[in-house]
Amino acid sequence: MLLLNGIWFSVVSQTIYEKYGGFKTISRIVMSFYEMALDSDGIGVHFEDIDMPRLIDHQTKFVSSLVGGPASFSDERIEAVHRHLKISHDDFDEMAELFGEALAMHGMSEADIQIALSAIEGKRAIIVARDAA
Amino acid sequence: MSILAINEHLLRAIGVGVAVLRASDLTFVFHNGPFAEWFGTPAEGQTLLDLLPDLDQRELDDVKQSGLRYSAELQIKPKRRTLIFATTISLANGLEEQVLVVECQNITRIRELESMIDSYSTMVERNTRELEREKERVERLLLNLMPRAVYEEFKTFGVVTPQLYEQVSVVMLDFVGFTDFASQTDPTVTLSELNDIFTAFDRIVEQFGCERIKTIGDAYLAVSGMPDATPDHATAVAHCAVRFLRYLERRNESHPHKWQARVGLGMGAAVGSVVGIQKYVYDVFGPAVNIASRLQVFANPMNIVAPEEMKYALIDEFQVSDLGPVDIKGMGEMNLINVTSGLSVPQPSRHF
Repeated sequence: MLLLNGIWFSVVSQTIYEKYGGFKTISRIVMSFYEMALDSDGIGVHFEDIDMPRLIDHQTKFVSSLVGGPASFSDERIEAVHRHLKISHDDFDEMAELFGEALAMHGMSEADIQIALSAIEGKRAIIVARDAA
Repeated sequence: MSILAINEHLLRAIGVGVAVLRASDLTFVFHNGPFAEWFGTPAEGQTLLDLLPDLDQRELDDVKQSGLRYSAELQIKPKRRTLIFATTISLANGLEEQVLVVECQNITRIRELESMIDSYSTMVERNTRELEREKERVERLLLNLMPRAVYEEFKTFGVVTPQLYEQVSVVMLDFVGFTDFASQTDPTVTLSELNDIFTAFDRIVEQFGCERIKTIGDAYLAVSGMPDATPDHATAVAHCAVRFLRYLERRNESHPHKWQARVGLGMGAAVGSVVGIQKYVYDVFGPAVNIASRLQVFANPMNIVAPEEMKYALIDEFQVSDLGPVDIKGMGEMNLINVTSGLSVPQPSRHF
């Protein structure tokens, strides 16, 4: 929605972010995803030495940007933060799966989960290391 | 169940890590489940500092002596996740010996939420700033399309009511031979020349409290007396007109193309309103505009022509000469005057 001259113009249809209650839902999704990622034997290692505020910052923006929240996460930045992590396609798949679970856990409909997951899929090329199998 | 048993049961059940130590040697008298889970079960003879080496020995001594509480934040990393504990150690007296009570609260989640809120609010604040900037940009854009008072009305009510202004004055300027110039010149040059000149005109118009309404190709239209009534609307547009021409004369001295313009003034009623819904244009209509437009066509290059009705308003500040009755297309016969700057009035006394 855009307020122009006192008139609300519907610029885009409602985002998933708005539909599920904004920050209060996103915060829970972020926390669940964070827990799952840390507990995962597959991808947990990638979060091992990262400092907590940075990880949370990353997750908050990541989750928000994927569901249409107020986040701007440029592709350059996503690429930069993942470059040294040497993420494989398997890691990426697991991350996407956990993310899907986190969304489902907080009551997101299957259709909306698919939208969010396809948004993640769109970032595969910049997250997975170039030389990954 | 005795009170003592209840107390012990409570201490074991709560989610806060609790341990009781002998003040003398910091060995454990009691610890509950959460404490052992986080920091390990204290073995016989182990002290608090064996389990929590990050605690400050001097601070502990201080607790024993002063009885003041010692608070610290401890971090442990059992697996991948760093856990943060708010730890408080206090002295308890009144028993057979002095004991220290250690309380540990897991504040990891609080810290995480704080980080998330920080991250999130930074994000939202930045977006808000961007929106603000965007709003200002839109506002500036709309202010180019309509006078501020009209914009305010538009913003508040979403519509602009066409308004009749009984007495306004209009100045209309048009360049001589513009079509030829435009056909012989690179369009970018034409545009930059027009932009340059119209920007200067805009400043002049602003200086005299007039409103530029629009430019139509090479024609420039400004009004005085709307949307805010101005008693000296006639002189305001005349001031603009003479300065437009003076600006062009000065500019011609240093530029390759010598611009010539005709200027018409008009006075009377006009209606101002926003036209269109998707593409807003603030425009004015009415006799004052029509007159200015017709007289501009009639004017000789670098001359300002006005209807005779404006004569009395202009005569004090400008040099006014009668042109007599002229048949103006669509208007019939009108008495016209030629207006020149009062500053360039020839001083007859000098000729003698």
